[in-house]
Amino acid sequence: MELESILDIACTRAGLEAASKKRALEQASELLAEHYCELDAGQLLEALVGRERLGSTAVGEGVALPHCRFAACTKPVAALLRLAEPVDFEASDRRPVDLIFVLVVPAEANDLHLQILATAATALNDASYRHALREADTDADLYAAAIRSPEVRRAAGHP
Amino acid sequence: MEASNTLILLGGMLLFVSVLASLVSARLGLPLLLVFLVVGMLAGEDGPGGIVFNNFELAMLVGHLALAVILLDGGLRTQMKTFRVALQPAVSLATAGVLITAGAVGLFAWWLLGVDWRVALLLGAIVGSTDAAAVFALLRRSADRLNERVEATLEIESGSNDPMAIFLVIVMVEWLAMGEGPGLGPLGWSLALQLGLGILGGVAGGRLLAELLARVKLVEGLYALLVVSGGLALFATINLMGGSGFLGIYLAGLVVGNRRSDATEHVLRVMDGLAWLSQAGMFLVLGLLVKPTQMLADAPSAILIALFLILVARPVAVTLGLLPFRFPPREVGFIAWVGLRGAVPIVLSVFPMIAGLPQAELMFNVTFAVVLVSLIIQGTTVPLAARVFQVQVPALGEPMDRQLLQLPARQAYELVQFEVQPETFAVGRTFEEVIDASFPEHSACVGLIRDGELIDPGPDARFEAHDVALLLLPQDSYEKVAACFARLPAEGPLAAQAFFGEFVLAADAPADDVAALYGLELRPNERGRTLDDVIRSRLGDRVVVGDRVSLGASRLTVREVEGGRPVRVGVKLAE
Repeated sequence: MELESILDIACTRAGLEAASKKRALEQASELLAEHYCELDAGQLLEALVGRERLGSTAVGEGVALPHCRFAACTKPVAALLRLAEPVDFEASDRRPVDLIFVLVVPAEANDLHLQILATAATALNDASYRHALREADTDADLYAAAIRSPEVRRAAGHP
Repeated sequence: MEASNTLILLGGMLLFVSVLASLVSARLGLPLLLVFLVVGMLAGEDGPGGIVFNNFELAMLVGHLALAVILLDGGLRTQMKTFRVALQPAVSLATAGVLITAGAVGLFAWWLLGVDWRVALLLGAIVGSTDAAAVFALLRRSADRLNERVEATLEIESGSNDPMAIFLVIVMVEWLAMGEGPGLGPLGWSLALQLGLGILGGVAGGRLLAELLARVKLVEGLYALLVVSGGLALFATINLMGGSGFLGIYLAGLVVGNRRSDATEHVLRVMDGLAWLSQAGMFLVLGLLVKPTQMLADAPSAILIALFLILVARPVAVTLGLLPFRFPPREVGFIAWVGLRGAVPIVLSVFPMIAGLPQAELMFNVTFAVVLVSLIIQGTTVPLAARVFQVQVPALGEPMDRQLLQLPARQAYELVQFEVQPETFAVGRTFEEVIDASFPEHSACVGLIRDGELIDPGPDARFEAHDVALLLLPQDSYEKVAACFARLPAEGPLAAQAFFGEFVLAADAPADDVAALYGLELRPNERGRTLDDVIRSRLGDRVVVGDRVSLGASRLTVREVEGGRPVRVGVKLAE
């Protein structure tokens, strides 16, 4: 998996204002729907919120990876948000979240989708990668930091 | 006067040296008991100490007394809540397991030594039980958090398997002394009496003691003496009536320890010291008693028997004993490895000496060597074995200190000290913000230590990194706030993400939804159920943190258990 193939710079936002978990998910849905016209923002939000009901997708250290399967989706697509102010995401370590990586994949089960999600979780578990993402000021910087990170490339099998 | 002073000096010095030597043992990872034993041997006849001591009756008395105190302490510290996961497996190991171990070792010794088969069986019975003191000390000292089912099974087993071994030894000694065996009838009756009186007397005596402890007002230090003296009297009474005093005093401790009263904390603090003194005294005396030079002749066969016990007899006994309970193989492996022998076999090996049986010397020497080998090989490798068999679970963030408070309140409270570690939830927040709705009972931050000064937190004080927070919390509830103060490892096999998986799910989530999302393969009868149902239908009711179920593409790991049911479950993707 290469992050470039699923994450577009149009779906990357640095310093986004969001007052709550719900608002952050809403903005992510709108962002994805704008760029991928086959996706409907309202339904996408519903799917993401439905996933959160099974258990928070926050993984600690201020990071969350909301994700869902979506019938209208034809290939895995992602959005990356860095919030200006961290919001409560019901994480195990209780820390509020400012880095949000959203992944939407097609409805039919596929090991590749799980791989992508696992790779993203592993990459974001790395302190220096998180640091690089938090240092990025503009959308372009954030996008560059996200896809250029050696951790992501290594984890994805690109030495 | 001089003689008694010499004796006191001797005893004091031996104990003093042993306690200091424990510093070395902790650094080398050796069991403390080994140190006491070695100091005793060095002080004895064959060592530089040259003290001649061969009073087996005195050794027996010390041994009995010390064992009783150690079992009482073990009972006091065994939390009844661990019974949910471990009582039946532990009892199976403590009965059938001891019989199988004794039988297997007996068979091997009979073949190896060519002695009378009853002597061989007696030897098997002598080394049949694991040592509560050694197991408790090793498991409690280890900094790692172990799988609760494994830890509780080992603790309850080691606390309750002595009566079976003692019973077998007494029967075999009588049999050999009489020249012919009692019939099956008297044998069964004797076993029933030992177990029945032990259980009844222990529980009844424990209730009485607990009741007394809750009602009388004594000077602090006397509570523990009340429990010890009461326990010892109970022990002797049950023994005199033909019951198992060892089982009785363990159960009495269990009943007292699990009944909350203001005195319990004092009792535990004093008991800790008394239990150490008992172990140290007993092992010193036993170390003095043994003549290492005489043991050398029997050493090769003793070592073979020890290896057979460790590598064959115990694993077979544990595997068979745990068969009905469906323990995962790695847990069976770890339990089999932590079969530490200790003081009980050595005390038991004095029985044939006192009965004047032939080959008593051989049994004593072999037993001694078996215990030594077991302590050295198994005692030093428990942390390694925990890693190899993967029975560790991620730590929770332990507080620096916990003190149970003596308060005239219905709910028990403790004062818990947490260091506020950097980059945790607590940093920059007030206590009110840290505790949440999951914390219904009253709790408070009663003090903050910042730069070595105790400051009054007031309601608006915010935690800073490296503060020490003094929290008043309901007893045993600190785990709920631990994650707010502690930073846990992010890497290695025990990091939360590596161990539990990437995401956390509520156990009452519909299994179908999770299955569709993560490619889980459910059985037809699991459709329409919750994750909790699926986990318990696959693993049974003894679910503990760290239990795993692999379901197709992903793996579920139990992350939190409340009231015997999983409440939060980790999911590891695309394993």
